[in-house]
Amino acid sequence: MLLQQIINGLTLGAVYALIALGYTMVYGILQLINFAHGEVYMLGAYLGIIILGFLTSIGLTAISLPLSISITLVLSMLFCAAYGMTIERIAYKPLRNAPRLSPLISAIGVSIFLQNFVMLSQGATDKVFPPILKAEGLSILNARITFLQIFIIIASILMMAGLHLFIMKTRLGKAMRATAQDRKMAVLLGIDIDRVISITFIIGSGLAAAAGVMVAMYYGLVNYFIGYVAGIKAFTAAVIGGIGSIPGAMLGGILLGLLEAFGAGYISSEYKDVFAFGLLIIILILRPEGLLGKQFGERSK
Amino acid sequence: MLKLENIYTSYGPIEALKGINIEVKEKEIVCLIGGNGAGKSTTLMTISGINRPTKGRIIFNGEEIHNIPPHRIVEKGISQVPEGRRILPRLTVKENLEMGAFTRPKNDIQEILPWIFETFPVLKEREKQSGGTLSGGEQQMLAIARALMARPKLLLLDEPSLGLAPIVAGKIFKIIKEINEKGVTVLLVEQNAKAALKLAHRGYVMETGRIVMKENAEALLNDPGVRKAYLGE
Ligand SMILES: Nc1ncnc2c1ncn2[C@@H]1O[C@H](COP(=O)(O)OP(=O)(O)O)[C@@H](O)[C@H]1O
Ligand SMILES: [Mg+2]
Repeated sequence: MLLQQIINGLTLGAVYALIALGYTMVYGILQLINFAHGEVYMLGAYLGIIILGFLTSIGLTAISLPLSISITLVLSMLFCAAYGMTIERIAYKPLRNAPRLSPLISAIGVSIFLQNFVMLSQGATDKVFPPILKAEGLSILNARITFLQIFIIIASILMMAGLHLFIMKTRLGKAMRATAQDRKMAVLLGIDIDRVISITFIIGSGLAAAAGVMVAMYYGLVNYFIGYVAGIKAFTAAVIGGIGSIPGAMLGGILLGLLEAFGAGYISSEYKDVFAFGLLIIILILRPEGLLGKQFGERSK
Repeated sequence: MLKLENIYTSYGPIEALKGINIEVKEKEIVCLIGGNGAGKSTTLMTISGINRPTKGRIIFNGEEIHNIPPHRIVEKGISQVPEGRRILPRLTVKENLEMGAFTRPKNDIQEILPWIFETFPVLKEREKQSGGTLSGGEQQMLAIARALMARPKLLLLDEPSLGLAPIVAGKIFKIIKEINEKGVTVLLVEQNAKAALKLAHRGYVMETGRIVMKENAEALLNDPGVRKAYLGE
């Protein structure tokens, strides 16, 4: 039972963490809460279903499921990355020197637009994932972990490790940290801020799309509304970890996933949102800057 | 090398620069003195492209630069060490230096670092420390070193001695002189007018957004008005 909840919690937490990263990175650079981020995740999930459905219809999934899933993941991530970058150009960039509330309202507008767009074009009912993923897995002690769960956990860890390396080691990653710490100084050093901001949205949106595809596979269905709930959960995770902190988003996501799994397993799944927001309130009271709070770019020493 | 022609810069309704003309020639140290709020920092930020002039032209090596993006201005060879040093606190000393070379080809860092560490040995010792842990003097050295990483032709320095103990400030002035002798042109803003004028070839005096005097440094040092207003005599 305990082990089972840990497995379920890690799976869910990994997904929350991936989405939370997008919130925290954008906040770190622009001090903007990108309310449209949950919708990018939703879009990623839909794309996952559509692409995988297509690959099934041409028979590729029957030949190689791992290859099909990889193609789906990559295509959905690329599309959403381009999408996130475009949203930034159109909806946020023109407001960069406006009062802080303006881009926030713009973000809510984009979010509503996206939800309605998907609802109208894909229908308001649940869309079901092609039934190609069998619930095969392994039994450890008396718990079960499906291959899909293993895939989600490992893929998430790889993406987060990749992001960490990018931020800490590459020139562009360092420029992102520099921009988060002191934007004006970054400009004075010759860093092209527009490019840094674009890359932030590209990465954040790509990760959200990956989360979307994996959740779609995990639960087997999507609807136009999933971005709202997941977005709020992931935002909660980002705040719990300390908004602006990249390790914080990872930690917050995992914690939230575990908490929900334990709450659902031991108390009642009806209350799982209560646990998430209860934890948020406790953190905000006891440690408003979040567990690992401070701008990202923080070096763990 | 650098020419500001009739530059006006505003912050909303506040006109901070009211038609200033400044010229810096190659290999010179030119200093800009003036009281608090005179518009010295605004002048440097306008040259760097952070603030946009509403009127006038800025010409650098024969090219207009007042309407190109700030990162392109760095690429063209103008680096600024802003007021308050603005070290990136959670980047290491080495990473701060790397960011200074952001506009340079990647392998350039390895070429220039030895010279930087020779000029600023303390930075070599502190290489792996995060920028925020350095003392004020060390931070100022890092800020200057970081600007030099871009191999600027023109270095803009905004109050480099501010808040430093006299001995440390003296060190900084000595370094500025060394850098200039190595061929970097310097536009220096200082509230320590005496030290700045001793270092500089020429100087401008600024008051409420206007240039009120323009002389060679020695003449300014001996000018009774300047002595009274800025040298505390
Ligand atoms: N960000 C700003 N917003 C509004 N006014 C500013 C800003 N920065 C400077 N000023 C005003 O512009 C004038 C010149 O300031 P500044 O260039 O900082 O002077 P100095 O560097 O000579 O002390 C001052 O009146 C100051 O109040
Ligand atoms: Mg100033």
